[in-house]
Amino acid sequence: MSAGRASVTGRVARLAAASSLLLAPVILWAQQPPPATLAACNACHGPGGNSQIAQTPSLAGQPKLFIENQLVLIREGLREVESMKEVMAGMTDETIVALARHFAAQKPVVKTSPVNEEKARLGAVTASKMLCGTCHLPDYAGQKQVPRLAGQDEAYLVQSMKQFRDNPGPGRDTIMAASLYGLSDADLANLASFLATFKP
Amino acid sequence: MFARTVLAALALTLAACQSMSPPATAPAAAAAPPPAWQQGRTADQATSTLAPHAGRNTATPTAEIPLSTFKLPPGFKAEIWATGIPGARAMARGESGKIYIGTRGIGRVYEITDTGTQRVSRVVVDKLVQPAGVAVKDGSLYVIAIDKALRYDGIEKNPAVAPVDMTAVFSLPKEQHHNWKYIAFGPDNKLYVPFGAPCNICEPTAEYAQIRRYNADGSGMEVIARGVRNTQGFAWHPVTKEMWFTDHGRDWMGDNEPEDELNRMSKTGANFGFPYCHANGVPDKDIKKANPCDGVTLPATTMGPHAAVMGMHFYTGTMFPAEYRNVMFVARKGSWNRTQKYGFDVVTVRTDADGKNPKVEPFMTGFLDARSDEFSGRPTYMLQLPDGSLLVSDEQLGAIYRITYGR
Repeated sequence: MSAGRASVTGRVARLAAASSLLLAPVILWAQQPPPATLAACNACHGPGGNSQIAQTPSLAGQPKLFIENQLVLIREGLREVESMKEVMAGMTDETIVALARHFAAQKPVVKTSPVNEEKARLGAVTASKMLCGTCHLPDYAGQKQVPRLAGQDEAYLVQSMKQFRDNPGPGRDTIMAASLYGLSDADLANLASFLATFKP
Repeated sequence: MFARTVLAALALTLAACQSMSPPATAPAAAAAPPPAWQQGRTADQATSTLAPHAGRNTATPTAEIPLSTFKLPPGFKAEIWATGIPGARAMARGESGKIYIGTRGIGRVYEITDTGTQRVSRVVVDKLVQPAGVAVKDGSLYVIAIDKALRYDGIEKNPAVAPVDMTAVFSLPKEQHHNWKYIAFGPDNKLYVPFGAPCNICEPTAEYAQIRRYNADGSGMEVIARGVRNTQGFAWHPVTKEMWFTDHGRDWMGDNEPEDELNRMSKTGANFGFPYCHANGVPDKDIKKANPCDGVTLPATTMGPHAAVMGMHFYTGTMFPAEYRNVMFVARKGSWNRTQKYGFDVVTVRTDADGKNPKVEPFMTGFLDARSDEFSGRPTYMLQLPDGSLLVSDEQLGAIYRITYGR
């Protein structure tokens, strides 16, 4: 919702919706993301939300609530993502929920890129020390507002963690920022290497 | 402040892990504190997956609000009064009846206008850092975010009014954790503002873990209570004019300790115990001193373990039965740092005329399904309307319910 835009709330709205058959097709349609919007997502985030572009995150298998909340933050500029501005402008909450439901249901493709065994081993030690699995869960699949890390694009993970550590903006989770206090660039690179190729 | 955090067990664990780490390019690692939410966590809690619950930034459709599962005492009824306001927390009512609502992560302040047949909402301001504090006084809306204080003069008549930036005069400290605000004007016409402890457990510096009051223009600041970890609600007794306030207990001391508090401030300048003495006289396990509860004002009553006591309200209307007059309503948003969830309800607290013998009883329940241990909503604040009905905000579902009574 943008400043100044009014919306009807409350019981009256619900009764009006329930008693109007004309609204029914609209409601059904809203459960599927608009095809053009979905195509725009996949153009960068990859087929089925599995990224094939470095620094662009995979969306496949991300928790629904995580996607919803982040899209709202990006739409409203609390989280500044320049390349997302155009596609998010004016997007309704209903469309956001539909997109989130779609991508949460996509199967994440396991990475087959070459693994730097030593970096991944050191990253595993850091992940264990920093208790990443508390919120991201022991299989790093994420939950609710907490993103999936397993199989995420490595360069994106590094960039995202650096942003949290060095310059978290107003919409960013303060707990996550604090969780990275004091980690070196090498720690973050190792963590990213471990998580990008993690297989449960 | 963080350097003074005393966490013996965790510090040892971290030191041991660091010896296995690759050489750090920055030397900051040794001084790095754990994030606030896991300070005080013991080694045997390291595999716990307990973590704060997610908020929700999207609008919840009215049809997805499980109104029929909410339970009230006989004669009371709940209706959905407003929806589509994600993150709705504290509510403040203007003279013309418009209602202003603060939020945290989504950064918005809403205004709701009741047209008589429906509620229409708009966003007054967005992109703020957790603008949870809202209050209305003499036609002006006060908004306090973690790092900003704004005043909107005459906003009910002039919706587009530009805010007066009062940030400098309120001198808001920089730490964010527990520094989102509940604010309210007291019977002395002063603005009461809490400054929470920026940690789970620590010895905070002098600007935190306290309640302050200011003149409406931000001048005349006084610290009126110390040792307050994180109060998210307060109100003044309609007869005695004493201030009562809720306070959240620390985490990672087990499922049942220490309980949250409901405090009574019979004089200013009292110490309420944090970080040495919690709840009804429970010494802290990490930050120790001799006789930790000496000189501490203990709560009027404890409010349950990890319950997350939020807003409170003394009922002064005539719609509810006479036995509810001057009774406290307290919202408990519900626990995260507990194996089995607790709270997720609104309770009443009845006391003797002198404020003694408080009795806590459930009022609005049904947000928590005990069998699955899952919750639907999280009640956070109450606002009484002129007709005596009571609004209850639900931060999780971005909704406001209206409670009425009728035989």
